[in-house]
Amino acid sequence: MTYKILVVDDEPDLEPLVLQRMRRQIRRGRYEFVFAHNGIEALEQLQADPSIDMVVSDINMPRMDGLTLLEQIPNVSPDIRAIIVSAYGDMENIRTAMNRGAFDFVTKPVDFDDLQFTIDRTLEHIEQWREALSTRDKLVALQNELDVASKMQQSILPTAFPTGPSYKTFGTMQPARNVGGDFFDVIRLEDDKVGLAIADVSDKGVPAALFMMSSRTLLKGSAIGMVEGPGAVLTEVNNLLSEDDTTGMFVTMLYAVYDPATGVLTYASGGHDPPLVVHADGTSELQPLTGGIALGVLGGFEFSQESFELQPGDTVCFYTDGVTEATNEQGVLMGIEGVQDLFASAPPVDAEQAGMAMMDRVLAFTGEAPQFDDITCLTLRRD
Amino acid sequence: MAISAEREGGTVIARADGRIDGSNASEFQADLQGVIEDSDKALILDFESVSYISSAGLRVLLLTAKTLEGNGAKLALCSLSEPIREVFRISGFDNIIPIHDSQAEASAAVSG
Repeated sequence: MTYKILVVDDEPDLEPLVLQRMRRQIRRGRYEFVFAHNGIEALEQLQADPSIDMVVSDINMPRMDGLTLLEQIPNVSPDIRAIIVSAYGDMENIRTAMNRGAFDFVTKPVDFDDLQFTIDRTLEHIEQWREALSTRDKLVALQNELDVASKMQQSILPTAFPTGPSYKTFGTMQPARNVGGDFFDVIRLEDDKVGLAIADVSDKGVPAALFMMSSRTLLKGSAIGMVEGPGAVLTEVNNLLSEDDTTGMFVTMLYAVYDPATGVLTYASGGHDPPLVVHADGTSELQPLTGGIALGVLGGFEFSQESFELQPGDTVCFYTDGVTEATNEQGVLMGIEGVQDLFASAPPVDAEQAGMAMMDRVLAFTGEAPQFDDITCLTLRRD
Repeated sequence: MAISAEREGGTVIARADGRIDGSNASEFQADLQGVIEDSDKALILDFESVSYISSAGLRVLLLTAKTLEGNGAKLALCSLSEPIREVFRISGFDNIIPIHDSQAEASAAVSG
């Protein structure tokens, strides 16, 4: 790459001298020189030509001297670095120049080897500076993207939870700092039934958040429109999500329908962890998987469903792998056993307390270890 | 996470190890793409030393399976530890990617 260097000096002999002494660097395409004869001209050139990389300036010049020029450069080109050429031993001007942001100085009579060395060192510094700027810009862009994704994720979570005369529901999520892809939903259905969904999108960032939005919308549409039950709902959502399969994105989802009239919970798993049922005495068991697959992977897949009856005092817990794969500072996974142990010693008393207790358990287990994944708990308790 | 690979005829056998998660999934994807050639007929991934795989890792496997399928080639996994096998069972990915107990079994299956 060719660097463009602006040389500022009122001495007319300097221009041919620079071109002659730096001819090798010019011929190799490393340096290109432009010239100005005072500070005013230099500023005009900097303004007109943003491709100038650095300035080499004399101090004593008519109209505007080099020290004033140094003060003015940041207003025109903040990323330009300048080298000052001063009289030998003129420490006062050199110190003033350095205080005003000069990167380095050379003394007269100019030793061109030294000048070239100083120019190269300055250019190297400029390169590093530019790299740092671009890294910072990328980080800012990334952070903006994560903020957008995080807001989208928060915006789709329900804030009110359906309850009935004989049951309550509750959901809570602790988002990871780097934006994961969990969401949950609680949907009122016909005949006082209630649909419960918990899901985990396979990726992070804005594309994953968009996928999450469409998963949630498709689920809600199917859940309200279909009376055949969770298996048929997941089959439909899966087919819709599989239509565009170029991204390889998928979502694991557990969808269940609870019928308060009978206490029966029917569920289907799209590649998601099975529900945990906790009884009033604190004993608990995982329900069987339903043989499904993550949604968005394999169009045409037929999802099956299972049912069981919740007894009064039973709590059913849905969770994401932020719970089971919670990792402590020693690198140990908590597993669902951590939740089962918790409820064995302190059986749940209502849906909200159970959800919060699970969440607190995970956070206590991980301690100071970094949280890589969203932690989500969704509970329903039959009173 | 690191990958080593060898080629036997048109079959590539690659070994992954350690954790495959969101922090190294794109590296894992690039590594897999690096070991596959268009003329290959099958990729066998030996997961014996893989200690953890997240959904981001599963996504890479899904994309790899699709790429291979587009070339008329197969993907198979072998030698999974029980916790990893459980991840494939719960996510249902064992429906789309064949899983074998050993490399020999996987080799026989992809060449059969």
